[in-house]
Amino acid sequence: MRKVLALVVSFIALAEVASAQTFVWPQKWTVAKPSEVKRGGTLRRAVISDFRTFNPFITAEATNVPDTISPYGLVRRDPTTGDWIPYMAESFSISPNKLEITFKIRRGMKWSDGRPITADDWIMTWRIHTDKAVGSNSYDSFFIDGKPITLRKIDDYTLRFIYPKTDAEALNVASFTPWPAHIFGPVYQKEGAEGIKKMWTLNEKPENIVSAGPWLVESYRPGERLVLKRNPVFGEWNKDEAGNPLPYLDRYEIKIVKDVNAALAEFLAGNTDVFFEVTTVDHISQIRQAIQAGRLDATIKVNASPVASSQFMVFNWNKASDLFKQSLFRSEKFRRAMSHLVNRQAVVEIVYGGLGTPMYSSVYPVLTQWVNPKVPKYEYNPQQAAKLLAELGFTRKDREGYLVDSKGRRLEFNLSTNAGNPQREQIAKLIVDEAKKVGVKVNFTAIDFNTLVGQLLSSGPDRPFDAIIIGLSGGGLDWPFGSNVVPCKGNLHMWNKSGQCLDPRETQLDALYSRGRTELDFKKRVEIGYRMQEIEAQLLPVIYIAGPNYHTAWNNRLGGEHPEAIISAIWGSRQLELTFIKK
Amino acid sequence: MTAYILRRILYLIPTFFGATFLAFLIIQMAPGDYLTQLELDPKVTPETIARLRSQFGLDRPVYEQYLLWMNNLLHLNLGYSFAYQAPVLEVIWPRVVNSMVIVIPSTLLLYLVAIPIGVYGAVRQYSFGDRLLSFLAYVGLSVPSFFLALIAIYVLLQIKFRTGVLVFPVSGMTSSGFEQMPPLRQVLDIAWHAVVPILVATANDIAGLSRLMRGQMLEVLSQDFIRTARAKGLSERVVLYKHAFRNAVIPFVATLGGLLPSLISGAGFVEVVMAWPGITPFFLDAIANQDLYVIAGFLTVSLVLLMIGNLISDLLLAWVDPRIRYE
Repeated sequence: MRKVLALVVSFIALAEVASAQTFVWPQKWTVAKPSEVKRGGTLRRAVISDFRTFNPFITAEATNVPDTISPYGLVRRDPTTGDWIPYMAESFSISPNKLEITFKIRRGMKWSDGRPITADDWIMTWRIHTDKAVGSNSYDSFFIDGKPITLRKIDDYTLRFIYPKTDAEALNVASFTPWPAHIFGPVYQKEGAEGIKKMWTLNEKPENIVSAGPWLVESYRPGERLVLKRNPVFGEWNKDEAGNPLPYLDRYEIKIVKDVNAALAEFLAGNTDVFFEVTTVDHISQIRQAIQAGRLDATIKVNASPVASSQFMVFNWNKASDLFKQSLFRSEKFRRAMSHLVNRQAVVEIVYGGLGTPMYSSVYPVLTQWVNPKVPKYEYNPQQAAKLLAELGFTRKDREGYLVDSKGRRLEFNLSTNAGNPQREQIAKLIVDEAKKVGVKVNFTAIDFNTLVGQLLSSGPDRPFDAIIIGLSGGGLDWPFGSNVVPCKGNLHMWNKSGQCLDPRETQLDALYSRGRTELDFKKRVEIGYRMQEIEAQLLPVIYIAGPNYHTAWNNRLGGEHPEAIISAIWGSRQLELTFIKK
Repeated sequence: MTAYILRRILYLIPTFFGATFLAFLIIQMAPGDYLTQLELDPKVTPETIARLRSQFGLDRPVYEQYLLWMNNLLHLNLGYSFAYQAPVLEVIWPRVVNSMVIVIPSTLLLYLVAIPIGVYGAVRQYSFGDRLLSFLAYVGLSVPSFFLALIAIYVLLQIKFRTGVLVFPVSGMTSSGFEQMPPLRQVLDIAWHAVVPILVATANDIAGLSRLMRGQMLEVLSQDFIRTARAKGLSERVVLYKHAFRNAVIPFVATLGGLLPSLISGAGFVEVVMAWPGITPFFLDAIANQDLYVIAGFLTVSLVLLMIGNLISDLLLAWVDPRIRYE
C-alpha cells in the first residue's frame, strides 16, 4: 500500500514538473550557445563589504544575501532592450484607467523546500515590508506621494496591484522579490514585527534559508566567505533555449575581502573569477600587465560605459546672513560662469586617469535613452566665465588680483567636500585653480562626511555653507529623476531648502516631475524628461562635473558573458544563471 | 595583600563608570549618526529616516541613551548592533576568536624572538651582529604593518607568477571547500593561512621590544652589583642570566597586564590588508557606520580587560620585584 502511495505521490510530483510553466532565458542575453555550455563548477568572486544578515526584510547593503540568492520578482528587465518582461508572472494586464495591474502568476514554481509559490507569498511579503515597525528599506517603494499601493489576491495564481495614481515606476514596484509566507507568515501573526526581525540572522542554519531564486546558502563564515549552491528546484522552470535547466554552475562562492588591493591580488593570482571593483588606472594596468605577461588568462573591458552616479557642485540659495552671497548664488549667470570654470576634461584626465565621462545634466550619461543631446552644456571656457562675471558687475580686480564689484565686494566663496574622498578633493582643487585664474577666490576645505551632509540637508532661510561638492547614485531607467531631489519640498533639493520654490523654473520642474512620474507612455515620458533637462540647463541648480567609467574583468575560465553591446554599469558583464565554467 | 586587592577592585567601579561615560560621550559627539548615509539616498523619504531614528532610539537625549545602555550593561547585555540587527556580543565574538588565532602566536613569537635579540645586542654591544640587528630593527620600526603586509602579498604573487606555486595564501583565513575538509585538515588550513599574517604582525613589534630589551639590559649591566658579581668570580652566564636579566625584565612584567586587552583588540591593519576576518576590519566598519553600540560595547570589554590586566600586572610586579610591597 505504502509503495503504491509513494508511486502516486511521485507521479503527481512528476506531473507537476511537467506542467511547470517554463521561463526560457533568451539566447541573445549571452554570447554562448547552449551547445557549448558545460555544467558544474564553482564561480568565485570577492566583495568588499561583509554580509550582515540573511533576513530579507531588514537587509540594507547594496550586495546582500537575500538579493543574491533570489534576485527577481513578478517582472524583470530584458537587458537587451531595457523593457519590463513577465518573469515569475506568466503575463500581466493593465486596466484601462492604468491604476491596476493584474498579474497571472506562473504555475509550477516552487520554494526550495518544495512548497508551491503562490499569490499568498507576495501578499505576505508586501505586508511585512510595509509594517513600519519592521523598518524595511523597501518601505518607501510601496507608497506614491505618501499614499499606499495595495495588493489584492484574486486567486492563488492571480494577483492585483492597485495604485493610488498612475505611476511610471509601477512595474518596478511589482519587481520586488517574494519570500515564503509559510515561513514568515506564522511568526508575523504570532509575534509581529519583533518576531520578523529576529528571523534569519547570520546564526540561522543554512538549510532553513528558503529561496525562490537560483541559489541556496550552503555555508557562511562571518567576514570570510559565503558559499551558495544551485537551487535544483529553480531549474525546473528556468531553462535555456535548448531546454537545459539553469543555472549551469553548481556553486557560487563569495569571498569577503575588506581591502580592494587584496581583492585585486586574489584576482591576479587566479583565485577569483571576476573583479567587479576595477576602478583605478592602477588596477587596469596591473591586470593588463598580468595578461600580457601570460601570467593570467583573463579578459578586461575598459570604459565599458559611464557609471550611474554623479559628482556635482551645489550652491546654497538660503543664506540670509550674507545677502551679497545669497543673491550671487541665486543668480543663474553666476552659476553659468562657474560651470564655465569647471575643466571637466582635466577632471577626467587627472582625477580619473582619462577613464571618466564629463557630465552636464542630472541624467547619468549611461542612461543613453534619457539624455537630451540638444541641451546646452556650458563647457570649460574661462573667457566666457569672465564675461558673465563682468555682466554681474565684477569688472575690477583688487590688489591681490581678485575680482571686486563697484562697492568693493570681493568675489569669494567657501567650497567644501568630505575629507577622505581623494577624487572629490582633487576636483575641488582644480576648481580653486581655475577660479583663481579669472579672479574668483575659492576657499576649499575638506570636512567630515557627516558634518557635510548635515550642512547640505539643513533647511530654513540661513544654511551654514556656500558651496559643496558631493555625489548621488542610483536612479531608474523608468524615470531617472529623484523624488527627493526635484520637488521643491524634497529632502535633497539641496540648493534651496527654504521649503518653497524660489524660481519660477523650479515650480515648472516640480510640475513636470509630477507629470512625468504619472505618464505611462515611455516616449511621452522621455519627452517630458527632455524638457526638464532643458529647464535644468537654463536654471543650472547644480553644476555637474564628471564621473568615472565602468570597467570589468573576468578570468577566461568563465563563459557566457553578455554580448559586448550590453556590458555596462547597468547590466554588468553577465547573467550568473547563464554563466558556465569552460575549463 | 587581600585588602589591597579588594581596595583596587573598589577603585575600579568609579573608573569604569567614568570611562564608559566618556567613551559614550565622545562617540556621540561625532557629527551625524548611523542613518546619515541613508539621508543621501534619492528614494528614501525624510519621514522614513525619522521613523528609523526613533526605532533605534537615536532621537533621545544622550544621557537617556547612556542610562539605557548602562542598564543593559548591568544585565550583561552589550546592546544591539544597528547594522547587523543582532546583539553586539553575538556579532563581535566570532571576530575576536579569529583575531586570537593571529594575536596569541604572534605575542608568543614576539617575546621568544625579541628578548633574545635584545640580550644579544646588549651583551655584544657594537659587534657586527648587534649592528645588523639594530639596522633591521630600525627598518622594522619604520615600515608600517599594513605596508609590510602589502609587500608580503606582492612577494607571494611574484613567487606564484615565477614558479606557479602559491607558498602561502594571499588573503583570507580558510581555503575554498573548507567546510568539507576533515577536522585536522581544517586546523592545518587555518595554520597555513595564518603564517604570513602572524609574521607581519610580529615584525614591527619585534623591533620595538628588542630595542627596549637591549636598552634595559645595557643599563643593568652597567650597574655596581653586576661589577660586584663579576668581581666575586661568578661565571659570566650566572651574571648575565641570574642577575642582569632578571632585573632587566622587570619593566616588561609591568606591561604583561596590557596584553589582556590586546588579545581581543586584534592584529591591526594586517587583518584589513590580508582579509583576515578579525576584529579590526569589523571595528573599522562599525566606526565608519557609527554603529554606536558595537563601538561602545567593544570599548567596554577592552576597558574591563585593561583594568583586570593592570591589576594582574601590579601583582606580578610585586612578585618579581623585591622592592615593591603592598600593605
